Amino acid sequence: MNDSAASEALAAPLYVAWQITNECNLACLHCIEESGPGKAFSDELDREGALRVVDELMANEVPYLSFSGGEPMLHPHFFEMAERVTSRGSQLKVETNGHYLTPENCARLKALEVKAVQVSLDGATSATFGRMRVRGEFDRTLQGIRNLVAADVPVEINFSPARFNIHEAGRIVDLAYELGAASFYSGRTMFTGNAVKAWRHLEVEDADYVKYFETLAAKRDEYRGRMRVSYHEAGLLEELRYRLHHPAALLIILPNGLVKLINALPFVCGDLRRESLADVWANFRRAWHDPRVATFIDELAADPGATRGLHKWVRV
Amino acid sequence: MRLAKNVKFREEKFGGVLFETRSEKVYTLTPTAAAVVKQVAEGRAPGEIAPALAQRFEADGTTIEREVKAFLAELAEKGLVED
Repeated sequence: MNDSAASEALAAPLYVAWQITNECNLACLHCIEESGPGKAFSDELDREGALRVVDELMANEVPYLSFSGGEPMLHPHFFEMAERVTSRGSQLKVETNGHYLTPENCARLKALEVKAVQVSLDGATSATFGRMRVRGEFDRTLQGIRNLVAADVPVEINFSPARFNIHEAGRIVDLAYELGAASFYSGRTMFTGNAVKAWRHLEVEDADYVKYFETLAAKRDEYRGRMRVSYHEAGLLEELRYRLHHPAALLIILPNGLVKLINALPFVCGDLRRESLADVWANFRRAWHDPRVATFIDELAADPGATRGLHKWVRV
Repeated sequence: MRLAKNVKFREEKFGGVLFETRSEKVYTLTPTAAAVVKQVAEGRAPGEIAPALAQRFEADGTTIEREVKAFLAELAEKGLVED
């Protein structure tokens, strides 16, 4: 038994990260998707199209999906889509800003047996949280997390560092534990999407990242066996260079059914409105060998700002 | 014995994969290993698995029983199956 699987050998993806809508009630400074109020794509999948994609994923035995956005719980058919996933035996993670986690919605998520709900909590105080998550309500997010815990839904906390909140690193991990989270995730904030415009407020110095990851390493040890503390130290370029030779068995579906090669590249390798999952998966595996992909990654080494253009999709 | 809560199994041309979704770790399985896991996923008791596979693969019952036992122990140690 080997603990790896080359995506090229697999009949279908193992993991699908689906941005089910680009609409969001918040307008976060660092949002990679440039989501926000009124930012839904004009051509997002309708109910019939979305459910057809779910059915195709289930027919191909995709074992693990995540619904994100935008804010996925704003999608008018969120619960219907979630039910169709979990009732077919696949595991579902929901990535949310936590503002719609009412006791009633948490009870529904529990009934659906979602694997986990990941809540973004980019601050240990209302001030830092509000600075990153524009229009966000700190107390409402905390209450949403408490509602999940009360409903016995596994909670994961995600934290994106910026120059104005990175000093709270230790406190935010403690807060995640106090709230009852099962896991805590973090990594480096990417220079793309909204972050491009807000970079002067967000950029973290390398020395601060060193201290940050030291703090997380200490917290990982402190909470071992009680809460999982995971973080990704690699920078974007390092990650992309690895993925170029070891593509994950992961498809990223955009709200309109287009499929991206990986979030941090502008390349689109399929369209689930017009192509079958099998065809998109075959093209995904071929597309990683497209010379434009390697060239883009090489150019990124010379110009880290090339990530500005991730939303100008290029079909490969 | 059954697959652990966060573990999913899928058959593949080369055998199969076990996906532990909590750590997002993937294990590739040979055809024989996949056959064992499939039996677990279908709810077969450990004692029933070796005889079924010995018949299917026309293998020596004692040898396959020993190998199945060792493999199930490995799965249990990695937290991929539970009682």
